Amino acid sequence: MKAPFSKYLDSLVPGLKKLIGILGEKYDYVSVLSTDTKGLALRISQHDKSVSNHTIATERGTVVRVCKDKLYSEYAMDRFDPEKPEQAAEEIMSVLDAELAMLREAGAAVYETGLLPDEPLELFVEKEAEQLPEECSLQEIVDRLSGISDKGMTLSEYMLDCFVIAQSTHVSKLFLTKNRFLRQSYVYTEGFVAAFVGKDGRNKVGGESFSGLGGPELFDCMEEKLKPAFDKAMAMLSAERIVPGEYEIITDPSISGIIAHEAFGHGVEMDMFVKDRALGAEYIDKRVGSDLVTMHEGALCAENVSSYAFDDEGTLAGDVTEIDHGILKAGIADALAAVRLGVQPTGNGKRQNFAHKVYTRMTNTLFDAGNDSLEDMIKSIKFGYLLEAPKSGMEDPKHWGIQVIMNIGREIKDGKLTGKVVSPIIMTGYVPDLLGNISMVGTEREVSGSGYCGKGHKEYVKTADGGPYLKTIGRLG
Amino acid sequence: MMEKYIEILKASGADAWEAVKTKTRGWEFYFIGHRLDQNRAVDVETVSLTVYKLDAEGKSLGIANAVVAPTETEEGLKKIVTDLVYQASLVKNKPYTLNGPKPYEPVKADLRPVRDEALDVINALNGIAENEMQYVNSFEVFVNRVEKHLVNSEGVDVVEHYPTSQLDVVVNAKKDGHEIELYRLYEAGSQDKDGIRRDVEELMKFGKDRLDAVPTPVNGPMAVVFSTDAALDLYKFLLINLDAAYVIRGMSAFELGKPISEEGEGDKITLESVRILKGSPHNVACDPEGAPIRDAVLIRDSVPERYVGGRMFSQYLGLEDSFRVSNWRVSGGHRTGEELRCGEFLEVVEFSDFTVDEATGDIFGEIRLAYYHDGKGNVTPVSGGSISGSMIDNLSDLKMSEERRIYSNAEIPAVTRLAHMSVAGVETATEEA
Repeated sequence: MKAPFSKYLDSLVPGLKKLIGILGEKYDYVSVLSTDTKGLALRISQHDKSVSNHTIATERGTVVRVCKDKLYSEYAMDRFDPEKPEQAAEEIMSVLDAELAMLREAGAAVYETGLLPDEPLELFVEKEAEQLPEECSLQEIVDRLSGISDKGMTLSEYMLDCFVIAQSTHVSKLFLTKNRFLRQSYVYTEGFVAAFVGKDGRNKVGGESFSGLGGPELFDCMEEKLKPAFDKAMAMLSAERIVPGEYEIITDPSISGIIAHEAFGHGVEMDMFVKDRALGAEYIDKRVGSDLVTMHEGALCAENVSSYAFDDEGTLAGDVTEIDHGILKAGIADALAAVRLGVQPTGNGKRQNFAHKVYTRMTNTLFDAGNDSLEDMIKSIKFGYLLEAPKSGMEDPKHWGIQVIMNIGREIKDGKLTGKVVSPIIMTGYVPDLLGNISMVGTEREVSGSGYCGKGHKEYVKTADGGPYLKTIGRLG
Repeated sequence: MMEKYIEILKASGADAWEAVKTKTRGWEFYFIGHRLDQNRAVDVETVSLTVYKLDAEGKSLGIANAVVAPTETEEGLKKIVTDLVYQASLVKNKPYTLNGPKPYEPVKADLRPVRDEALDVINALNGIAENEMQYVNSFEVFVNRVEKHLVNSEGVDVVEHYPTSQLDVVVNAKKDGHEIELYRLYEAGSQDKDGIRRDVEELMKFGKDRLDAVPTPVNGPMAVVFSTDAALDLYKFLLINLDAAYVIRGMSAFELGKPISEEGEGDKITLESVRILKGSPHNVACDPEGAPIRDAVLIRDSVPERYVGGRMFSQYLGLEDSFRVSNWRVSGGHRTGEELRCGEFLEVVEFSDFTVDEATGDIFGEIRLAYYHDGKGNVTPVSGGSISGSMIDNLSDLKMSEERRIYSNAEIPAVTRLAHMSVAGVETATEEA
């Protein structure tokens, strides 16, 4: 079935068009993004169970963007009355004028920015989903997820709790300008099974996640996540600490995805180029990885949690080849960064929700697959580790430092897995070294979108990343 | 409108309910250097409705929650609440009761206009001493006034007004064509403008030292000193282990009356809930479920005295008089920060990222800038590599300065020393590539 576009948003259209007309008399550019995103969130553990319609992405509201004298301003509201656009326009102009009066008092100069293009464009997209989060059979889902948590507790005497978290989000967004009328509706779903184990006063958590474009029907895969989550937790419980040093490593697709995200996801967000905060600006058409490295970024690159038809500034979704056989080719840009840099926007302007500012953000960030099998990679290693179970990542785009924290490192000696596990592990390094040392690339690419991505330490949005198994050299601690 | 929500909830057949309306009005300013990139205003309202439904025998309690938009129609609201009652009947928890009304002392919040607060913060940033080598790259200012109204079926009816603000600052330093950046996020009720100026100027000094830093040369066991906001995460591990939910799940490392670590060379740690903390964005009278927040000692001299937490798990644990901590303080150090900087150690002042795993106590951080003290009087700025360790392994010998510093909603020792950490240094100067 098609995920239906919000009737509420459709009801706003006449009023919003009037609002744009009124504001257009004062401002050089006016756009409106209205959202109506519904959700379902289930949290099941042995000690608490709850259901909610609220996820980090659920929202209903409107943000108006205006430009006057090369300064862009925004007003976010959630009580727009389509019968009273004049009242909304008056409030918007009054508040923004008051802000500008204060800024004049502060002596603030403006970072001047050209006008955004506004060629005529109309789009209506409803993507496929078998079920909708607001209409699914909740009883069946609750019973199934509770069963997974209960089964988890039978796996070992060391189990403290078993969490099952499942979320589905139905996005409807409307973008309007004088010449553009874009509407889209899609559903994405994600889940997480976590095994909490404890022994001798020490706790460990093993987790397995999934995500995809589609509705609650995707929850069907959650039971198969339980055993791997439990196995990870138990492996961590008996793991040893790693001896810090530089090793040959194989990253599984989830770790490869984090590297893609941190290395040349954040590193080529072009709003950072505007602020001169990213080293990538100086490396376009230069080598940043081995010849085996090709990387794509864009909402069109995969079907996952951030695979929309247009972004939060009304730019159509794209597919950017960021790295082509080791050569950095392009970055990603929101619409304002693109105007400032004189490049085309790539469909990467995203907001945490309607009340937040747009930044250049990632969608799907992926290494391309290659020709090597995992078995051959393991055979090629004298002493190193197969790295799994990512916990977090961070980058320094000004300096190309990268950090990835992982929970599982499987020892490889003389071309074989020894069965020994080290945990936790922190991998640090210099991005061009890490990518430059990639010497083998797996044949299958996997995509994961179960986490959230921040800009600095805020502005959390859904992103997906992935890749195949990669063999490289990393500094582990 | 709150009356409408209450009327619908009362008529819903729920055994208990809660409604929380939060109105936020904010001004936001984004600067590139000191030029205005964008100004924004936000006027939003969210309403969270939660219903509780007992099963026929009263042996299990279901919970369902919805966040509704202020534009929702009355008909839509009635359907949402009806659905919630059904959804609550599907999930089964051990029964507990909501908070009832209790006397509380309202907080006198500083509610000066957002205009004045924003102007002062912008002026503070514009007044920072910069030069061509160290300067403010960009900053973002968020100033909000929040009104929160909580009502529940047991008679709680609390309205609070409070300010919140955020300042996001990026500082750059450059030398010989080489440039680095450092980042800070300041969260407060009202910002301490003089404190921000001092802190950003200190950040510029860190930036200058970062340019002179050599790759971290040491590998292996090492004492690590924390003197910036990363130390917050060390102490949050103590707080989370006192949470009733952690205790019920069997995940808490602590027991009441039993020291949190074996006897060692470390200081005795005292952790308190503090109702009002200067500048905190969490200076409110009641917690999110309507329980009055109080001053209380949670750990005294390294011995836990009480657990705290939300209503559900507190009641499961038999704590009738519990609440969620909003502000907190850690004390117990009896040496100066300078006295803690002795022998061989690594003082890390900037991390690319720093994490203390709440469940396990595992510590990780990538070193963006540290000072290596070799114990012979030599101090070298270093960068790269990582530190790792465990809070569990470090509690016995953890040392704290008597001086304290406030970060957002916590006041913690200005200097903390962990004796049992591992450093993975950088043996080759890869950053020259």
